[in-house]
Amino acid sequence: MNAQAKRAPVAAAVLSILVAAAILWPLVAFDGPWPRELGAYLESRGLEESGARNLVSAIYLGYRAYDTLGETIVLLVAVSGAIGMIAAAGTTLAIDYSYPAKDGAVDGGEAEKPIRRKAKKNRTDLIEVVTGKLGPVVLLFGFYVMLFGHVSPGGGFQGGVVVASGIVFLALGSKGKPGGGLSSASTLAKLEAAGFAALIAGGFLGLASGTGFFAPPLAGTSPLGFIIALNTVIGLKVGAGIGFLCVAMLGEADYD
Amino acid sequence: MIDRIIVGLIFLVGLWGLIGKRNLIKKVFGLSIINAAVVILFIMEGGKAGSSAPILEPGVRDIVDPVPQALMLTAIVIGVCVTALALAMAYRLYKATGSFDIDEVRERLDDGHR
Amino acid sequence: MTGIAESIMSPSDWAMMPVALPLLGAALSLLAKAFIKKGPWASLFEYLGAFVGLALPWLALAVLAPLVLSGGSVQAIIGSWSPLVGISFRFDGLTWLVDMLGFSVAGMAWLYSVGAGPKGPAFTTIYLIQASALAATAATTDLFNLFVCLEVLGMASYVLVTSSEKPGAFLAAFSYLMVSAAAMVFFLLGVYGLYRLTGTLSYSSIAAALALLPDGGGYTAVVSLACISAAVALRVAVMPLYGWLPDAHALAPHAVSAVLSGVLIKTPLFALSRFLLAMPGGGMAGQLFGYAGAITALGGVIIALSQKDAKRLLAYHSISQIGYVVSAWGAGVSALSRGEAVGYALLSAAFLHAFYHALFKGLLFLTVGTATDAAAERDVYVLRGAGAILKKSGERLPFTLLSFAVGALSISALPPFNGFVSKAALSYVLKGRWEYIFLFIAGIGTTASFIKLAGIFAPPKRGAGIAAASSLPGYTAKKTVMTAQAVLALACVASGLAGPWFYRFVGRLLSGGHYSIGVLRLYDLDSLLKTGGIVLAGYVLYKLALTGIGKRIAARIRERPRGFHGLFAAFSLGLGGLTLWISFFRFQ
Repeated sequence: MNAQAKRAPVAAAVLSILVAAAILWPLVAFDGPWPRELGAYLESRGLEESGARNLVSAIYLGYRAYDTLGETIVLLVAVSGAIGMIAAAGTTLAIDYSYPAKDGAVDGGEAEKPIRRKAKKNRTDLIEVVTGKLGPVVLLFGFYVMLFGHVSPGGGFQGGVVVASGIVFLALGSKGKPGGGLSSASTLAKLEAAGFAALIAGGFLGLASGTGFFAPPLAGTSPLGFIIALNTVIGLKVGAGIGFLCVAMLGEADYD
Repeated sequence: MIDRIIVGLIFLVGLWGLIGKRNLIKKVFGLSIINAAVVILFIMEGGKAGSSAPILEPGVRDIVDPVPQALMLTAIVIGVCVTALALAMAYRLYKATGSFDIDEVRERLDDGHR
Repeated sequence: MTGIAESIMSPSDWAMMPVALPLLGAALSLLAKAFIKKGPWASLFEYLGAFVGLALPWLALAVLAPLVLSGGSVQAIIGSWSPLVGISFRFDGLTWLVDMLGFSVAGMAWLYSVGAGPKGPAFTTIYLIQASALAATAATTDLFNLFVCLEVLGMASYVLVTSSEKPGAFLAAFSYLMVSAAAMVFFLLGVYGLYRLTGTLSYSSIAAALALLPDGGGYTAVVSLACISAAVALRVAVMPLYGWLPDAHALAPHAVSAVLSGVLIKTPLFALSRFLLAMPGGGMAGQLFGYAGAITALGGVIIALSQKDAKRLLAYHSISQIGYVVSAWGAGVSALSRGEAVGYALLSAAFLHAFYHALFKGLLFLTVGTATDAAAERDVYVLRGAGAILKKSGERLPFTLLSFAVGALSISALPPFNGFVSKAALSYVLKGRWEYIFLFIAGIGTTASFIKLAGIFAPPKRGAGIAAASSLPGYTAKKTVMTAQAVLALACVASGLAGPWFYRFVGRLLSGGHYSIGVLRLYDLDSLLKTGGIVLAGYVLYKLALTGIGKRIAARIRERPRGFHGLFAAFSLGLGGLTLWISFFRFQ
């Protein structure tokens, strides 16, 4: 590689940083008053309109639930895309990777297969015992965060991620055997698909009852029930999805 | 003012990692950093608008603007998804070429195609 | 029919259907993947999902057609929340047209994928999610929702590009992901800037609040506008922001390439026009895009002419053709923001070409994909006699060859195919501007380059190329593949014949019935002579490119250094240039 090719990324980075600094300056230096209109409106009417004390939950599952639908879909696509990529390649790591000479094909003729081994599992008894016992507790906490998201800090996404870490703990604590129960890949895939289907069905419920797509279905009553239901469904879907991704990265998924 | 400038500098550091570094993983780090910088800026500024958390317990008054927090929740999740996907791709590129260096990866892939 | 439709659902519910139905289909397909996994039942649910997601939205479009034709629109808050915080969307003529563009190509490309792969419920799920995001992007009028829609769109396309499982596709998708995710961070900065100034998120209320601010928000507003526009322009692949496209589109599976090139680079453009028309300074941004578009049209075709990989050649033509669209689109946005009604004619010509390009480029990607798959060879200089190879693999009548011919004649703007009509509309509205000359020269290059590409179907020279065709891979012709190709080819012919009428139809929808477009005269002596001249010049250019000097220049262009960092340098330059351009005109 010649010197010019080495300098090019540096030049590009310097150029981008200069432009970005110029772009950022008016945004960083701006010192006008923060517009209070929306906050004030939510402070006075938010609880009444949405039924949720936690206004952040009221916004992302009530006022702007449609954004949250998009966000859930991004997560679904990312998880299934990443799992697809990992599954197609397998979780073996190449050691002593001898890259084939220039005349060889990239993805390897049979002749020059690099030596591969199973990803090394850095496990000790201590980790297995502790994570196995902690798993259920973490799961319980995750469900608490999920279900009380409308009154306290938390909600579906946060609770879902805690649930996912509980699932990872269970998988780590399964003593090297492919995880059974909640940490098995096919259960998690089913849970994720069911969660997504329930979310879409929830969107259509509003159509059936005449309030509109992704609207709280029962007109005239508090949308609080809808927010709690969405929190639960999203929590389960996120927990299953991220849990699935982590289990796949641990190399324990069976992928069927 | 100084806090916003620091966040701006974090953004620029991330940009350096994203473009100037040749390692794929470091590039993904850079992307996460610039995303985080914008999230911090948005939350920090939104938080200056009031004094208490936007949870309407009885007696709570002068809350911060809850909209930036809700928006950034979405942005954070999307950022995590982008990171996960980018890392999975980097993993596949490593499997195919045995390198994390962007130029080496490109060279080896080009060799394979010719 | 409208009466029955409204007794089922209100117009605002119907307007959400192009978004909601593909999601329902995706849910069905995902359930099939998780619970049934394999076998006929899984396929049944997958196909049912595809039917719900790709065919039923046409019903919604049919129901809504009378409304938008009469100049009406649906404007509502999703979930009927307070308009201050809720997400607003708008279903009008523009949304209707962009949805139609998306679902026509997406449906056919999916059909093609059933025969040619990638297959399976996992692919269909993500494909349907992408279709839903296209419809959502076209309808939204909320800035943060636009961010989310673009992210869903991008996410689905990164994953779909890698579904070809080629090692090169991973690098292409990685570069595409990194540069477009970085651009979306700048988009988010723009959202911050505008929210910081106005405290709202819907286009109309942002514009209203900016008008009340002293100096219209000053540099903060300008920078925010530039960040958002540049991030969207990257998705559209206008020069200089095009670098990610060729690899991604060339290495994706053929069906995905057809959707990426046909639909995915256009929907964000028309979504952006909504935003730019609402913003102060948006017209100036549109003007700069228009100029960049004309340069893109010519630059793209020059690079395309030098390519030897068949699909990469098509990908560079996508860049060139989107340049045609953007040049008219930019001039249209600029004119409309000044209140000149001629902007509707410009926008209509831009949409007409975008739609026709979606049809013929989708067709070209599918047919060239079929031919290169059957021959297992993608080099334009090597592959010969693709027709004969296809015949051996079970294609009794030369459907693929005929469909390819329709596509190639369309993109080269020969009458009576659809490209002829849309390029005539573009010349009609752009006449007298300097962009017109650029587009004219680009037309010559396009013809030359498709004479070259047509060589893959030419009979092989004796003893050269892969004429032997002895060791053909186990490729067999599939009915779904042929059907998808034939439908798109017929659409190219039919939309060409109905072109002048369709142009007026587009004009009526985009202007809400306020503006009627003059009659497009297609077959007068002038335009036919011009077409003949372009074909002749194209042939000469093709011969020139085959000479020694021509080949050396082509190799120079083909082997020019391209790197990951170049994408970011180009984005920075584009963003900086756009900021300077807008500030210069706003604060002069």
